[in-house]
Amino acid sequence: MRKEDTTNNILVYVETVDGAPVKAGLEALTPAHILSEKNGGEVIAAVLGKDISEAAKRIAASGADRVITVDSEELAVYNLDAYADILRQIIEKEKVDAVLLGGTVDGKDLAPKLAAVLETAAVSDVADIKIEGEKTFFVTTEYSGAIYCDVSIDDVRPQIATIRSGAFKKPEGASDGKLENESLKVSDDVVKAKVKDTVKEITEAVNLEDAEIIVSGGRGMGSKENFGLVEQLAKILGGEVGATRPAIEEGWIAKNHQVGQSGKIVSPKLYIAAGISGATQHLSGITGSDYIVAINKDEDAPIFSVANVGIVGDAMKVLPVMIDEIKKIREG
Amino acid sequence: MNILVCIKQVPDDSVEVSMGKDGKPEIDGITPVVNAFDTYALEMATRLKESLNDGSEITALCVGPESAKNSLKNCLAVGADHAYLVNDESIDDIDSIGIAEVLKNAVEKLAEEKGKFDLIFTGKEATDAALGQTGIYLAAKLGTAVITNIIDVKVEDGSIEAKHETEEGYRVIEAAMPAVLTVTKPEYDPRYPTIKNKMAARRKQIDEMNISELSALDEITAKIKKAAEYEPPKRSAGIKIKEESDEESALKAIQMMVEAKVL
Ligand SMILES: Cc1cc2nc3c(=O)[nH]c(=O)nc-3n(C[C@H](O)[C@H](O)[C@H](O)COP(=O)(O)OP(=O)(O)OC[C@H]3O[C@@H](n4cnc5c(N)ncnc54)[C@H](O)[C@@H]3O)c2cc1C
Ligand SMILES: Nc1ncnc2c1ncn2[C@@H]1O[C@H](COP(=O)(O)O)[C@@H](O)[C@H]1O
Repeated sequence: MRKEDTTNNILVYVETVDGAPVKAGLEALTPAHILSEKNGGEVIAAVLGKDISEAAKRIAASGADRVITVDSEELAVYNLDAYADILRQIIEKEKVDAVLLGGTVDGKDLAPKLAAVLETAAVSDVADIKIEGEKTFFVTTEYSGAIYCDVSIDDVRPQIATIRSGAFKKPEGASDGKLENESLKVSDDVVKAKVKDTVKEITEAVNLEDAEIIVSGGRGMGSKENFGLVEQLAKILGGEVGATRPAIEEGWIAKNHQVGQSGKIVSPKLYIAAGISGATQHLSGITGSDYIVAINKDEDAPIFSVANVGIVGDAMKVLPVMIDEIKKIREG
Repeated sequence: MNILVCIKQVPDDSVEVSMGKDGKPEIDGITPVVNAFDTYALEMATRLKESLNDGSEITALCVGPESAKNSLKNCLAVGADHAYLVNDESIDDIDSIGIAEVLKNAVEKLAEEKGKFDLIFTGKEATDAALGQTGIYLAAKLGTAVITNIIDVKVEDGSIEAKHETEEGYRVIEAAMPAVLTVTKPEYDPRYPTIKNKMAARRKQIDEMNISELSALDEITAKIKKAAEYEPPKRSAGIKIKEESDEESALKAIQMMVEAKVL
């Protein structure tokens, strides 16, 4: 689409899991308002799936002006080709200026898929939006978060972007968005890959993005038993457990605990890192933390360059003392 | 089977990049390597080839500068049988849609010489500008299926079945060939080359194509324009504690955390 053929409206695809909207999807409503306010457009949310009317209501109440729901059997199981086809139909009808998606695994696939079918462009992993006069800049990162980059999509529409989870807060306050049901069908021949089975290996949910306290362990913890110290400290503090990629690959903890570039971007009030060197891929996920405490036996470990308090020492000796002391503080 | 693996050359991702005086990220001094996810893709393709054991061949394809021939040689030492470079030094304003267009044209050209590719592997994303788009664009341009973020793949009676990683586990996804697969980190690490394979790779030829022969410039000019690149505000380091014993250090740290009211 050309710029002159679009409205000023912004579409947000809000993903649902087990009938509830995901946080990253709701968060994307906030930058959508920033964009729509620029030219006085509306924020339209799209919800796809089966039995999603409750989710649609929640989205209408949390900051969308309109919510388009496509509730059908063929959308019961997520499929990239099918979902992209339905979203394409909504986008072509609504002629929106921009499409925002939460930066989930599926959102990151849908964005380029939509850009391909709509012959436009998609920006990945947007951490901020800047409006300067007529121009809109998406702020994205390069080199494992070491460099920020302002980019714009000038000539093609809609602009598509995935929003980094945690970069924006969900809209505050209640709203009263209009609910609309659309009965759209997946076009013939678009589904080229079929989902045969969905396997859940992890049943325990981890909410690292919302956690106020995170205690993370790395390869320096040495063993699954020792990693237990990290879990103990997290428990006493009422926080979540995080981990580096090597700690996960060692099998000390499940992969949904990974913090960093290919894990979760976190912003707790307190982040404690034990036996973690501080590779860029890990640091880029934690620099939004208010207060970082690092325990590492190597005085020159890069983690110390971002830590408010750095303990040069053996985590196996430091953590038990911290656990005891904090127990005392909490109990007394 | 005829397998293609798309390889991007990137600056070594273990080196932290900073901004240069010319307002561009300073990457000249950083060793160029094969993008980590592409090394995973090549390893997965090589394991597939070995398990099929039917004379399947792997071609590595890179759009990049002349120096990327070295990266391609490294691919030849760990599983690739052939390697092609599309030299892109004449073009600077290209984004992932453009790269996908060039890759598509190269895929079609190579198919004329060596037959159609059954499977095309890409990485999930590049480590320099982590877009995670090229594989999906390439599949759309070729009109084939795409299965993203895979950690395992099996071939059965002309179709493929792959495990696509999700937050809680994985989805089993099936598609007909040809198909594009984007690879994330599987459970295993890529192999190291043996000295013998390394020597053999040094002697192998790397064929070159020119980007302007493959694609018209206006078709590959970037739709996404970079306005500015800069370093994000840095956190400053705080206090390092190193007392006589680890116990004392721990106690001192606790005291500071109490004072900072984070406990
Ligand atoms: C494409 C890509 C994506 C990646 N994504 C991520 C990601 O999302 N998250 C992530 O974490 N990593 C990621 N990585 C991996 C990353 O590059 C690093 O390898 C990883 O973060 C290092 O983990 P670590 O600090 O646990 O291990 P190491 O780097 O091995 O560090 C271990 C540290 O423990 C210290 N230590 C050892 N013994 C003790 C002791 N007794 N007491 C105290 N300290 C001790 C050592 O001094 C050392 O500093 C990614 C890599 C790639 C290539
Ligand atoms: N210049 C390139 N040459 C060959 N393959 C590429 C190139 N750029 C990207 N790719 C492939 O596309 C994947 C995803 O890259 P990106 O979309 O840039 O994050 C990479 O892992 C490569 O497999």
